[in-house]
Amino acid sequence: MIHLVTKEDIEHIAKLMRIEIDDVSEYFEKIQKVLNYFDSLDKADIESEEIHVQEVSVNELRDDKYIPFESKLISNLKSNKESFVRAPKMN
Amino acid sequence: MSLAVSANEYIENVKNGSISVEEFTAKTLEQISKHDSGLHAYLSINDNALDQARKIDKKIKAKEKVGAFYGMPISIKDNICIKGGKTTCASKMLQDFVAPYDATVVSKLKSQDAILIGKTNLDEFAMGVTTEFSAFGPSRNPWNQDYVPGGSSGGSAVSVSALECIASLGSDTGGSVRNPASFCSIVGLKPTYGLVSRYGLVSYANSIEQIGPLGRRVEDVALVLNHIAGKDQNDSTTVDRSNIDYLSGIDAGIKGKKIGIISEMSKGEGLDKNVENAFFKSVSAFEGLGAKIEETSLDLVKFTVAAYYVLTTAEAGSNLSRYDNLRYGYDLDLEGYEFKSYISKARRNFGPEVTRRMILGGFVPSAGFAGKYLLKALKVKSKLKKEIAKAFAKFDFLISPTVPILPFKFGEKMDDPLAMYLADINTITANLTGVPAISVPFEIHNGLPIGIQIHANTLQERELLQAAYALQSTTKLPGAPL
Repeated sequence: MIHLVTKEDIEHIAKLMRIEIDDVSEYFEKIQKVLNYFDSLDKADIESEEIHVQEVSVNELRDDKYIPFESKLISNLKSNKESFVRAPKMN
Repeated sequence: MSLAVSANEYIENVKNGSISVEEFTAKTLEQISKHDSGLHAYLSINDNALDQARKIDKKIKAKEKVGAFYGMPISIKDNICIKGGKTTCASKMLQDFVAPYDATVVSKLKSQDAILIGKTNLDEFAMGVTTEFSAFGPSRNPWNQDYVPGGSSGGSAVSVSALECIASLGSDTGGSVRNPASFCSIVGLKPTYGLVSRYGLVSYANSIEQIGPLGRRVEDVALVLNHIAGKDQNDSTTVDRSNIDYLSGIDAGIKGKKIGIISEMSKGEGLDKNVENAFFKSVSAFEGLGAKIEETSLDLVKFTVAAYYVLTTAEAGSNLSRYDNLRYGYDLDLEGYEFKSYISKARRNFGPEVTRRMILGGFVPSAGFAGKYLLKALKVKSKLKKEIAKAFAKFDFLISPTVPILPFKFGEKMDDPLAMYLADINTITANLTGVPAISVPFEIHNGLPIGIQIHANTLQERELLQAAYALQSTTKLPGAPL
């Protein structure tokens, strides 16, 4: 199945990714070209392949203990008040 | 004493008193101020370098215990955190970010008395192969300043090549250490995934990236690896190899070793003729060293660029979602925005390539596209791992040119992301399979460097460095013309 990506698709995804773009056509052609190139994956002989996500077994976990972080991270933020992060209103 | 010394020569000279740490540090800083306005390897310089040097000199004089590096100047890619200093990732998004802690590799180097002389330039968030995507302007190739230095750890490679430090740390997600090492005629190593802690490395595609050393000599890279490798409780993917000395026996040679030429990387239309010629000279050099050479095939290599960019954009889309300008960021007033619009507005400070990859990273794992892109890419990765394991059952090493093309001029590939991505075709396999790979400078063609890449099996860095050292011993290359 050939699914051609439309400008609307890109606008939609950009919105979901919280990326603001002025002119979608600036990105459209290049992204279209890269996605077309990604279509070459259709030709790889991988149908019977299983996906291995866990690649190294982790059997040695560190102790589950509280290690305080020495510096006051909140005070490094651009916008903070006491122990709070200032953020824009949610709507 | 010349700045063009090996790590060992530097250490010996400091030990026997022919030069003090302070003198060498001062000379290095002088070199930086003389050349870096043109080369732009550095984004920031350590203001306390001379103080630190004097402290180490004092320890030496007082015959106190001194760390293995004896004040050696090492530069650090600006996506690796040094406490109290800026870590910008060459992005306007992080232009004011001051790291609140040291990366594990940084604490390890500091504890061995290295002087972290400065932070080096990169493509924004390590996404690129030229440093042209740095928000603060590109670095220039010391071999010819009209040419790109490679990337994304371009600043690191330039700083080493231009004698602005002895060694450097970069990060390698798809070739970002090896590519600029090849373009700048130095050595660059991508260690096995898990050998070096990524704690304090700003994540781009964390399932495959590794921090790796760059140096002018193979043995310098081995020395740095000795001190950065090993288990770290802050990175659960790390493995314990702290008992290995990568320097001992580095001159063992490769007589009788079996080497496979990866055909998919060593011929074909994408390969520059001059790179091909240099590569076949390196094959003769390996034969001269007593290795047995055969061609071999990794069928899936032709799909690796697509698989790699699917996986990395998906991971980048997720990793970079932390940049909301609330926890990390620059001055942008909150007034007049609601939550989502504020974040979108703030992210305008991402450059064009990062924006592109964020959008792609939204596409490839999304409903309706994941089966077509992400799952297939993961399957290519799984199958490629089996392919390379099979190859290593037969061969000790697998070789190819590091980059299929010569260094190119600024602007040449800026408008064509795909052409830029294809420059990674020979380096990506090591990242997707986790095996270690190194680029060794081999030839200068018309003033432009060509590097040879050697892969070894998982955690075989010791053998890999021996092969690289052997190849290095067959070459006699000039330094960068400054």
